[in-house]
Amino acid sequence: MLNTIACFKWVMDEADIKSDPKTHELIFDRVGYKISDYDRNAIEEAVRLQEKHGGTVVGVTVAPPGAKQCLKDALSRGPEKACFINDQSFTDLEPGQTASILAAAVSKMEYDLIICGEGSSDLYAQQVGPALAEKLGIPCATYVNKLTYVEEENKIIAERKLDDGIEVVCIQLPALVTVLPEINTPRIPSLKQVLGAAKKPVDNIGLDSLEGTFSPCLKTTGILAATMERRRLRFGTEAEDIRKVVEALLKEGVIA
Amino acid sequence: MAEIWIFAENREQTLELLNAGRSLAGGLGAKVAAFALDGKLAEEYINHGADEVLVLPSLAEDQPLESYVSVIAEEARREKPDIFLIGGTQRGKEMAARIAARLNTGLCSGCTALRLDEKKQLVMERMLFGGAAVQTVVCTTRPQMAAVPPRTFEQASPAKGREGKVRELPPVPGTPVTVVKRTPKVRESVDVTEAKIVVCVGRGVEKKEDIALARELAQVLGGEVGCSRPVAEELQWLPEDVYIGISGKKIKPELYIGVGVAGQIQHVTGMRDSKVVLAINRDENAPIFDAADYGIVGDLYDAVPKLIKELRNALKI
Ligand SMILES: Cc1cc2nc3c(=O)[nH]c(=O)nc-3n(C[C@H](O)[C@H](O)[C@H](O)COP(=O)(O)OP(=O)(O)OC[C@H]3O[C@@H](n4cnc5c(N)ncnc54)[C@H](O)[C@@H]3O)c2cc1C
Ligand SMILES: Nc1ncnc2c1ncn2[C@@H]1O[C@H](COP(=O)(O)O)[C@@H](O)[C@H]1O
Repeated sequence: MLNTIACFKWVMDEADIKSDPKTHELIFDRVGYKISDYDRNAIEEAVRLQEKHGGTVVGVTVAPPGAKQCLKDALSRGPEKACFINDQSFTDLEPGQTASILAAAVSKMEYDLIICGEGSSDLYAQQVGPALAEKLGIPCATYVNKLTYVEEENKIIAERKLDDGIEVVCIQLPALVTVLPEINTPRIPSLKQVLGAAKKPVDNIGLDSLEGTFSPCLKTTGILAATMERRRLRFGTEAEDIRKVVEALLKEGVIA
Repeated sequence: MAEIWIFAENREQTLELLNAGRSLAGGLGAKVAAFALDGKLAEEYINHGADEVLVLPSLAEDQPLESYVSVIAEEARREKPDIFLIGGTQRGKEMAARIAARLNTGLCSGCTALRLDEKKQLVMERMLFGGAAVQTVVCTTRPQMAAVPPRTFEQASPAKGREGKVRELPPVPGTPVTVVKRTPKVRESVDVTEAKIVVCVGRGVEKKEDIALARELAQVLGGEVGCSRPVAEELQWLPEDVYIGISGKKIKPELYIGVGVAGQIQHVTGMRDSKVVLAINRDENAPIFDAADYGIVGDLYDAVPKLIKELRNALKI
């Protein structure tokens, strides 16, 4: 039996974010939202462990109340329950705040293992996982690309993929891991799962039931769109077009 | 006196951060202290700008590097540095996040630029939304922490006659994470960050064998082959060291050629500074065309052989 918490974040789809070429301001007019890419791997891994070892999977997120639609999306991916830690003030949180809020809620839950994504698609701070482990006082393994639960000994074996090679570590539970996208291929929810998600229970946790204060340490002084000057010329694959491309590259002086 | 602290898991990055640390120290009138994993490095770090070297004790065989978190955080709690820069390798990023959590301070991870403002606050830059935007932050608590990716700064150059203190830190207590196996990475001989021309393989390439096509193109041009993250990680067709993007290598070649690369923002962030960009993709709406000077809309299996042939003609090889 393994009780797992999968942490997921509801983020803007970065592909929908446009920018004003003159002011370099970001334009969020028509952005869609999604579950942060690598958090789908986190949820999938939790569900796979459950299929193998039994136990429970709870999906946990910190978000403003308006992000409610994320619950159905997450629940359709397999967890039997979601925990929606929400408050009007939970927008543009910095990683440290998110970790503290998660810790305040999770410390009241029963769990053996917490799974986070390697990094969120919007901030990609790669902080919330390890910071949450610290706040909870539990060990962690980051950048995990293979995870096994050893039932008899209540421990996990985690293979970490690092700049200097592979490191396999062993940790007694409770513990936290952050997972790389290659750990699994998240399944696409079936229609039945999508419909079933609406019936699954959701714990609503408000700011007033959380102990502690969650003040920011960082102050954003500016956000500017990264822009790029490019010619954006189009060609086909006919011989004549390819010749033009090669001529252009020669003229640019980048090939010789 | 204000202090700037530096920790990185290896010598090269410590020297890079010493460079950054020294220039901040000038503006602040601060001392620079660097952690060393080995006492033998102390002298070199002092020559390269450290006023003090904090030598970390050796770890047990089965302790991961991250076990230093407790000793480093404890030291920081006592000494209260003003700024703490950490080398943003994967281990470094984990350690930075955990140290910041223990010290209840702010951390700018993936920090790509540092400077002091008129109030002598550390102004840090990082990427947002996969690289679509640059965020500037300051930290209102102390230490002001940043995790800085490798090669963000040049290594500090040595100076003669520098002096500094060396201090040994207490041993590391037993840790709950034990290493059962280590497999060091075989270093690749190719360095895509140095290549003048990079042919980048995306998932549009259907089979591993077909990378030969990209290799041939690279060879004709005297370039190297790189790839997108999924080609290295999910498909494992090419080594991790050559994938390009926000979480991989940042390249600035004279010419980047994307072959079956979609050009999502996380990838583009790693090749944005290329001088000239050529993209081959069969989807005319692929985002890579917005990041390209020259776009060939078409099947790569049709376009690349033609391109190779034309290049051979033009370059007379
Ligand atoms: C937090 C985070 C960090 C990330 N970091 C990185 C990173 O550092 N680097 C990175 O690369 N990615 C990164 N990604 C992933 C990124 O978002 C994209 O998913 C990835 O870059 C897509 O790779 P691709 O273009 O090879 O594949 P795909 O998106 O699958 O695109 C394949 C392309 O090939 C084209 N194609 C298919 N067949 C042909 C053909 N026969 N001829 C011509 N064209 C063809 C298709 O039209 C398509 O555009 C990150 C994602 C997240 C969430
Ligand atoms: N608001 C949030 N709610 C729940 N989990 C989160 C939240 N933000 C981040 N996480 C988790 O922490 C991981 C790393 O996020 P980050 O530190 O922002 O890169 C994500 O992949 C999630 O698993």
